[in-house]
Amino acid sequence: MTLPAWAASILLTIALFEAGGGRVEARRTRLHEGKAKIVWDAGDPDSYAMEYKDDATAFDGAKRGRIGGKGNCNNLISAVLFALLEREGVPTHYLGTLGDHEMRVRRLTIVPVEVVVRNVAAGSLAKRLGLAEGTPLTRPVLELYYKSDPLGDPMVNRYHVAAMGWASEAEMDRIESLALRVNGILGRALSDCGLRLIDFKLEFGRTPSGDMVLGDEISPDTCRLWDTTTSEKLDKDRFRRDLGGVEEAYQEVLRRVRAAAPKWRGEGQGAAASAAAVPAIAHVHVYVTPKRTVLDPQGVAVENALKTMGYGEVRSVRVGKFIVLELAEADLPSSGGPQAGPTAAERLRRRVDDMCRKLLSNPVIEDYRLDILPPGRAE
Amino acid sequence: MIGVARRPVRFGVIVFPGSNCDSDCYHVAANVLGEKGEYVWHGRTDLGGLDCLILPGGFSYGDYLRTGAIARFSPVMAEVARFAGAGGLVIGICNGFQILLEAGLLPGAMLRNQSLQFRCQYTHLRVENAGTPFTRQCRPGQVLRLPIAHAEGNYTAPPQTLAELEREGRVVLRYVDEAGEPTAEANPNGSAANIAGIVNRGGNVFGLMPHPERCAEEVLGSTDGRLIFDSIVAHVR
Repeated sequence: MTLPAWAASILLTIALFEAGGGRVEARRTRLHEGKAKIVWDAGDPDSYAMEYKDDATAFDGAKRGRIGGKGNCNNLISAVLFALLEREGVPTHYLGTLGDHEMRVRRLTIVPVEVVVRNVAAGSLAKRLGLAEGTPLTRPVLELYYKSDPLGDPMVNRYHVAAMGWASEAEMDRIESLALRVNGILGRALSDCGLRLIDFKLEFGRTPSGDMVLGDEISPDTCRLWDTTTSEKLDKDRFRRDLGGVEEAYQEVLRRVRAAAPKWRGEGQGAAASAAAVPAIAHVHVYVTPKRTVLDPQGVAVENALKTMGYGEVRSVRVGKFIVLELAEADLPSSGGPQAGPTAAERLRRRVDDMCRKLLSNPVIEDYRLDILPPGRAE
Repeated sequence: MIGVARRPVRFGVIVFPGSNCDSDCYHVAANVLGEKGEYVWHGRTDLGGLDCLILPGGFSYGDYLRTGAIARFSPVMAEVARFAGAGGLVIGICNGFQILLEAGLLPGAMLRNQSLQFRCQYTHLRVENAGTPFTRQCRPGQVLRLPIAHAEGNYTAPPQTLAELEREGRVVLRYVDEAGEPTAEANPNGSAANIAGIVNRGGNVFGLMPHPERCAEEVLGSTDGRLIFDSIVAHVR
């Protein structure tokens, strides 16, 4: 019998708590401190605060240093890029910034598998396959690494992931499809800023309801970014390879990403810019299905009927509910805060998420997934 | 006891749209036991003066979405939670049990019966804990004969919760055969560990799938259900 997702989540939460020593500072608890970030529990049941540090490490911690202003840059760059991905329909853990060095993120159980997407040969791939750095790949290459500092993040494949139970087959399908979508969205967007997306690393995690969501950060620490015209490196390779100008490179990426952000938000193409993300009447589809860990008597009955009819290939049937919601954008409660709060699309998603948890599904026995339909696809 | 003037025990029977065992519960409280019964409409928010709340069976809000899912948001339910939190006795029968689960006053959830059939039949139930306010007139291990009538009585909960319920003696009633054995055949709905009724940690909130109010008089074929009501009365006195 496999451990149900919610149980794993509880266990992981406890494990993180203990690993961090459960230190309480200023009425919040340091849950986990990694090489570049600290995760804080400030008491909110749905979110954590994620602090970006100036500390820099490379080669799995063999090289250590400090990059002034890095925490600030990475926080703000990640914030802009997460918001962009959310608008494009990629679920992320990002809930908003909390000052210069921190962001509020959803609570996730992180899948211990790092996903690397490569468009151009560089770093370890160039070395391993004997390719000249800068050789374009004819199609994106996706690599998996087991997240383990003591083991030096060894490369693994989907057989390892399944055998070790790090994620299910369905979850890995979802992770891979999200990673490739992120590659497409970021590649196009960053080219607006004169940046080539050479390769990058992503991490994913499960929400309490079992949805797969993009976590971690998207910054020059986790992406290789080259200037489109000069091929100058604007990422952590400057630190790894002692190229100098490290701080300036991070600042430059932040400057370019910030300059492009209004365009990505759809501003400048009309006044109703960010409202364009949410139409006056938003259509949301909610799918509620029995958890895999509970028996679904209806599903079993339907499965047996299908087999009796000769559909012997059916392996599993789960019967759930499909709920169609229409919501008036004008009646969404506002975020309250004076400065850049969550966008209308984010507020909409959070409202419906709330409805799902409180009424539309029963978290003891059911999972849910929600789709906010893009304008024009309402029917 | 005769001749001593006593205050009657006051049962509040909560009436949701779609409740249909409310009259039966009221009848047992007022006419069979000779205590005081009172209907409590689901919109009410004042439960002063009541000794025990009964969430009766039925199909509250048409069982839409999930059994009990909508009823738990009735105005009265916040008061029920407060009443229970203060130690007041609350008993949820059938749909009432389902509502208590959805409201989080009891742990776990109901799935559809494994058979997918609506089951309406007599069952045998072993009293696993005769120390609760709802079973104190029963003998430990006593086998009761009570009827069930439901399509969603397949109780489930995470393994830790089930272990906790067992460890803390909070499984109060279990489906058994006539000999008192909890066999698979004796389980009418597929519930985990043949569970038919549980209490909260405080022991003052009880949920059960069988209907004690349908068998509290000779004329109905069994009086075993009366033991549950007599226990409540004895506890309140």
